[in-house]
Amino acid sequence: MPPKVEATVVDQDAQKYEQLHVHEVYEQIAGHFSSTRYKPWPIIACFLASLPTGWVGLDSGTGNGKYLPLPADRPGCLMTIGMDRSQNLLNAARTAGGTDVIREVVRGDVLDNPWRRGIFDYCISIATIHHLATHERRKLAVQRTLQAVSPNHGRVLIYVWAIDQDELSKRQIPKDNETRAGQDVFVPWVLSTQKKSEADSVQTQSQVYNRYYHMFAEGELSALVHEAATELGMLVDRESSNGDPGTRGVEVVQDGWERSNYYVELRLWENGQI
Amino acid sequence: MVRLITHNLLSCHAKGCTTNNFPLQFKDAEIEHREADFNPEFIRGLLPKIEWKALVDTAKELGDTSLPYEQPEMMDDELLKTLHHVLLEMHVEEGQMICPNCNHVYPISNGIPNMLLAEHEIA
Repeated sequence: MPPKVEATVVDQDAQKYEQLHVHEVYEQIAGHFSSTRYKPWPIIACFLASLPTGWVGLDSGTGNGKYLPLPADRPGCLMTIGMDRSQNLLNAARTAGGTDVIREVVRGDVLDNPWRRGIFDYCISIATIHHLATHERRKLAVQRTLQAVSPNHGRVLIYVWAIDQDELSKRQIPKDNETRAGQDVFVPWVLSTQKKSEADSVQTQSQVYNRYYHMFAEGELSALVHEAATELGMLVDRESSNGDPGTRGVEVVQDGWERSNYYVELRLWENGQI
Repeated sequence: MVRLITHNLLSCHAKGCTTNNFPLQFKDAEIEHREADFNPEFIRGLLPKIEWKALVDTAKELGDTSLPYEQPEMMDDELLKTLHHVLLEMHVEEGQMICPNCNHVYPISNGIPNMLLAEHEIA
């Protein structure tokens, strides 16, 4: 039985809270974490496989970089650049894929924007935004993905942890059935280290690191994207050919739940000037 | 590994730095060359995103003068190969990138550029 997920409350400055309960935890568990995270999720693999050769993308919150080598059947046809705050995870991401190929990785914050505006063709943000401790910060992270990609053809895929868990999931989630709000939780990571004692017997020491997550409620991710895009002056709708020139928008291509996660895929569009 | 493909996409994002903040200038760059598989279709698809002048100037800074100063209209195989080398095979492993406008220094260590800002520098 894995240790239980527990409800938590963000009771201090969000940035300091994330530093303590996200960034520092990942630096500690990076090696072990990375060795358990190698299988790409199908929706994301499918998304990357659908993109044309020559496209360049950003993986915002790349972790150990497991999506950087994709698509598997067309290696070298896309260039996904990985960004993360954790130096130890980036060191792993550099050689993601296990071949001699070195991946492009950059140390940066998902709330900053160290790129030329709209320069990427696509942006993925996988299991990242749920580590931000307030609604405002999660919204800003969504806006950074929308600003990173081309306003007239950019594609975005966002994946976050859902409060609604797969039956196969090992986790028990504290859930407030009265409200349909998301839930702030600590998810424990148990790191075991083996030490030889004086008598030469091997002792296993375990340390528990609690990672902060905001588990998304049903509809919360779509609402967040809607709010983020609207604030940037974008319509959340399909492209219409009779709109005013210069109108910018974002189409929700798909929006769903897969194995304990909510995801949303977006396509940006812009009406040409006449 | 800051390769020139990545360098060509980065710009300074320190607070208040919004003009003349691209391209970042390399300083004390240590370069390693690593061969990569040549994919002409990938290079062609990539080109619309590349700022040509920034690429040529930066390559020159790093000692590579193989690219023409003006972007040719026709891309032949030889030019695509040159672009492939400049964009994908030159890895800056150590050094710094400096903003031409505000002089902010972004260090590169073990091939990984650090674009994090201090709290007071975030726009």
